[in-house]
Amino acid sequence: MPSRNARPKPPPTEFKAIAAEWARAKQLKELEDAVQKKPESAKADDARRAALEAHRKKAFERRCFWTIGFWGWLLCIHIIGILLFTSGFLLTRLVLDEQSKCDNPPIEPLIEWKGKGTVDGGCWHPKTFDKAVIVLVDALRYDFTVPVEEGDHAEVYHNALPFLYESSVQSPGNAFLRPFIADPPTSTLQRLKGLTTGTLPTFIDIGSSFAGTAIEEDNLLIQWRAQGKRIAHLGDDTWTALFPDYFQPNISRAYDSFNVWDLHTVDNGVLDHIFPLLKPDQAQKWDVLIGHLLGVDHAGHRYGPNHAAMTAKLQQMNGFIQNLTKEIDENTLLVVMGDHGMDSKGDHGGESDDEVEAALWMYSKKPVFGRTQPEFKTPPATAKIRPVNQIDLVPTLALLLGIPIPFNNLGRPIEEAFIGLKGSAWDVLAAASSITSAGIRRYQASYFKARGIEQSTKPGSPATLWKDAEALVQAGTKSVSWKALYNAYTAYQEETLRICKDLWASFDIPKMILGVITMAFGVVVLLLYVSRDEDEDFAVLDNAELDFAERSLELQQGSPAEPEIASYKSFSRSLAKTGLLSGAIIAALSSGLVQITGSGEWLLAAAATAIGSMLAVTGVLLRIRGIRILNLLPNTPWGWLSVVFTLSQSIGFASNSYTIWEDSISLFFLSTFGFVSAIASLQLISVRDRTLGIYHSILFVVLARVASFSKLCRDEQMPYCTSTYYASANSSTSAPWQLAIPFLVFLILPSIIKSYMQSSRSYEGIAPMWIGYVFRTGLFLAAVYWTLDAADNGDWLTSIPEKLLKTIHVSIAQLVLAVAFVAGTTAFIWAPPCVNIFTTAANSSRAQITVLGFGNAHGARYLLLPINIAAACILLSKPMGGGAIAIMLWQILSLAEIVDLNDLSAETIGPVTLALLGNFHFFKTGHQAVLASIQWDSAFIPLLTLRYPWSPLAVALNTFAGQILAVTSAPLLAMWKTSPKRRGVLESTSRALAALVAYYAVQSLATMAWAGHLRRHLMLYRVFNPRFMMAAAVLLVVDLVAIGVALLGVRTNVLAISEVFGFAD
Amino acid sequence: MPALDPTPTAISSAAAAHKASNKAGEPKDSKDAPTPPVQILASPQAQVVRHLQPALLVSLLLARFRALVADPVSALSSALPLVVAVQVTYAVVCLPAVGSQNARPAKKARPGEKRKAGPESTGPNIAVTTLVALILSAIASLALHLILVLFGAPFLTHVEHTFLCSAHLSLLGLFPLFYTRGVSSSDWHEILSASAPFDEAFGGLVGACVGAWLGAVPIPLDWDREWQKWPVTIVCGVYAGYLVGKVLGGTLAFSKRFS
Repeated sequence: MPSRNARPKPPPTEFKAIAAEWARAKQLKELEDAVQKKPESAKADDARRAALEAHRKKAFERRCFWTIGFWGWLLCIHIIGILLFTSGFLLTRLVLDEQSKCDNPPIEPLIEWKGKGTVDGGCWHPKTFDKAVIVLVDALRYDFTVPVEEGDHAEVYHNALPFLYESSVQSPGNAFLRPFIADPPTSTLQRLKGLTTGTLPTFIDIGSSFAGTAIEEDNLLIQWRAQGKRIAHLGDDTWTALFPDYFQPNISRAYDSFNVWDLHTVDNGVLDHIFPLLKPDQAQKWDVLIGHLLGVDHAGHRYGPNHAAMTAKLQQMNGFIQNLTKEIDENTLLVVMGDHGMDSKGDHGGESDDEVEAALWMYSKKPVFGRTQPEFKTPPATAKIRPVNQIDLVPTLALLLGIPIPFNNLGRPIEEAFIGLKGSAWDVLAAASSITSAGIRRYQASYFKARGIEQSTKPGSPATLWKDAEALVQAGTKSVSWKALYNAYTAYQEETLRICKDLWASFDIPKMILGVITMAFGVVVLLLYVSRDEDEDFAVLDNAELDFAERSLELQQGSPAEPEIASYKSFSRSLAKTGLLSGAIIAALSSGLVQITGSGEWLLAAAATAIGSMLAVTGVLLRIRGIRILNLLPNTPWGWLSVVFTLSQSIGFASNSYTIWEDSISLFFLSTFGFVSAIASLQLISVRDRTLGIYHSILFVVLARVASFSKLCRDEQMPYCTSTYYASANSSTSAPWQLAIPFLVFLILPSIIKSYMQSSRSYEGIAPMWIGYVFRTGLFLAAVYWTLDAADNGDWLTSIPEKLLKTIHVSIAQLVLAVAFVAGTTAFIWAPPCVNIFTTAANSSRAQITVLGFGNAHGARYLLLPINIAAACILLSKPMGGGAIAIMLWQILSLAEIVDLNDLSAETIGPVTLALLGNFHFFKTGHQAVLASIQWDSAFIPLLTLRYPWSPLAVALNTFAGQILAVTSAPLLAMWKTSPKRRGVLESTSRALAALVAYYAVQSLATMAWAGHLRRHLMLYRVFNPRFMMAAAVLLVVDLVAIGVALLGVRTNVLAISEVFGFAD
Repeated sequence: MPALDPTPTAISSAAAAHKASNKAGEPKDSKDAPTPPVQILASPQAQVVRHLQPALLVSLLLARFRALVADPVSALSSALPLVVAVQVTYAVVCLPAVGSQNARPAKKARPGEKRKAGPESTGPNIAVTTLVALILSAIASLALHLILVLFGAPFLTHVEHTFLCSAHLSLLGLFPLFYTRGVSSSDWHEILSASAPFDEAFGGLVGACVGAWLGAVPIPLDWDREWQKWPVTIVCGVYAGYLVGKVLGGTLAFSKRFS
């Protein structure tokens, strides 16, 4: 069987055979007709007919060309709109690869000390501590640590953790407590990045690798490791994702961080394992010990701060920290801090005061900490007073422990740690500040160089502030000027930080608005295109008599000179010509303008081009075609239904809840469609149609509900959701029982497709071979692949070496993809129509030609294309996802039947439901609108190592399988059960595609507009932004697939059908 | 009939025969005359009960709302007999039982004669009709349960919640229809295909369904309100939708159809 799969081309003979048989039968019939009619010159007629066919073929290919041109223009519009919005909205930061070196300080240190420039003495600054214990109490809000008088608005979370405050009041030389302000987004992962690198987080850090979460830029842990320090880690496993292979293997212990309901496992793990490590014998095994406790955070998520569980947790932390201070030795620094706070409900992620205000407490057994002013001995009463930034921890820790400050640091040293016990060591503090400032300056220079931006030299800019400080250094080294010098450096650091925050955290609102306008206009153009008057174009499509008359007219004219018979023929041409031409002109003009003025605003030129050419196209649509704005409003219940589906979801994207629960909402809409279509089917006259309509409607709904059992929950859906996509909540492998799914798909799916084709007698031609054998084999191999994968993951086959196993299953995957894409495409291009032509000997005087599958010639043959795509997607999705895709294919077939039975092919509801179905199965294939749900491992299904562009392609096929299959199948809705005599196939499929793309365009417009509008919303980075990114990516993917697969597929299909049956128009 | 499927098709000039004609333009005057809407009985009691029933249902919902939010299962099940009583009274007093329209066209119009009418009537047996309609409603609530699950209701958990919700939906939306229309297949074909004329019963069904659909809207919101739990919003939507649909169906939209 495999040999048959691998055969690249189906026999052309079969194709010819059918064509020949058709021609012979036709001739036979014509001969008989001719006998009855007047005898005409048959030969001349034949020649004319051939000329007409050639002419029509050429005309069709031209129409294809212009239709694709129109779609290409549309794609450009979408790209420009998304680019415009993104450039104003998605703030990006370049990740630089440079790292600080111990022996290469950015500036000569201001003070001298023993062992300067070595790890033992301190690289850039005199070392204070040998070792450090860093305890991160997740979500430790500042006000948790400040005692409140009983009865004086004391909440349950007050006074439960008094040790930090009391110790810094009682022994200020040993401890200090200060508010610790996080930079939003306040999610743990982003915070850990800030706390270790000293930079501000942006949504996307442009790094060098395309996958993975590991931090690449210079950070404290890299520096510790480079200086030969050993790091141990206990607690939250986010650290191991960010810093793989950094930690001492035997003594480190990572715990799963996502089980928000579990308040104790992580904490008890840290508590149990941290104290043995502090004992003198174990203490030799590490230099830096990181403990990350999650109990407080989880108590907040689960109960909110106002709960007894929170009190208990804080009390436990109190005792824990107290014990820690007893256990550590003189040379060890103890840091206790929160990475963020929590809001009144115990959640975090945004930038409200409660979320960014954490606490920082440092402790040393030997008294070293001082205060610059005596009144600072009492810790601030609220987080608004004397806060420090979280990034300030980075230079402070680095200098205290004698390692270089990470290259990207923007923080500044915390004064308590350097001012000395008496509070008078301004020289040390100024030296620390000087070396930090120089580091910042070096980083800024590199960054601006890498970005190609000039640094400002205006008065008050960092450059002039730096010069001021330098002038002070030159002036002299009297004790008075140290303080002034420190202040000068502080001014420089503050200004630089402000500029960086502006650079990385402000939105370009005019560009965002321009992007939204471009997208909105694009949607209007699409809707106008979709809503063009169906009556005038396609009313006579299937009228055989008219066709006959037209044909003879064209025949008599000999070579007809582009008759203006049907306007649809020149529709896309005028649109595409207008769009491309006006676009080109405006693009040339505006880019010339940009060039001349030298403003570099290429995006604005693009915006002008897009909007200008859309105006032109709209003009064509409105005036020349006589389409009125009123046409935009639907005029049937079905039209209203598609409006309700699209619009209500778009409005829903304004709410984080509806965005979070989109998977369930899609099911709800799909069921609604099914029930409406069942009601509509009941209105059909023919009992057979009625029964079939109800059957397919119910089937459609039931299948959707069955598929909905496949779930991958996002964090925000907890605890109301149970993931079923993977074996368990914290694994990314499939459960053994799920392996049954691909085998079921292999057994059932081809038969289902066969049954749908048989209902129109279209299971003919290449179909039995391709669907019954090749497709089935592909599915079987996919099932084998996933079985081997499970065996590999579960170590079931220990007898086979792992490497061999990997090679085997990667080869299987490659084979399936080769069958689906290479052989599949070849077969699709060369396959004859799925029909069977035979001539029955006439029992009367007339010969009868019977064509099995004639009525579904277009649809049945085109179906081969979605099938091939589905086969690839099934392989690239996990077993559960493969099942979902199989169900989706089944649903698409039912949808096509529903559309046909209820005569909806001119309505938008079919494509809109299909688009909804695509989104639904996006969720059912184990995805969510969050970046974390991207299944990066799918890149390694067909490959052993990363290979461009194949790896990203595999990930894209895995991620957008639902939508890709939906677009590929959109033409099916317009072509299912249409005969070769159907005219305007290209136009009606392009229209169906436009309706489908319009749905996705509206979604990306809505998510874009809402994300822009809610840019200060707490959930921006967790909900709205990811959903916008998903919608934008989906729109571009859908556009590309519509052009590259669907439209080209339709072209191939129509050419192949018409080759046999003649061109219908 | 099967010929309209694109199965073997002979190619003559008229070969490409297509099924367009049989489809959308579906002529309304198919076989028999369109079913008339069901009139409310004209007796004064009927008029009183007709207006009393919505008031009773609303006050029942409002009075039990707190209990419904606290414990949906017990509140819904304890309310069930009350709703049955209200609906049965409403049906018996206000609605003509199935078959009664044919039996005695306009006799009920006379106010004084009402007391005699019951036992004497040769028409349907009210008690049996009521009982059958109730049984049918109970059976139909199983189907409604399935439909709710298809729309995304929990499949394995909250079975009682879902079932009680569909029982209420069935009692409000379907019981009056079973009572007035019986099991006539042509009537039910019209009702299920949404082409029946509007009257109080059909309007109520449409309203209850739309209400249930809209009732799902607030569920996903993260307001953390007790009343967002399953199936409180659906039940409220069903009641509100039923009342609105019934009133509209009996008045403004009476005897109109979805075109």
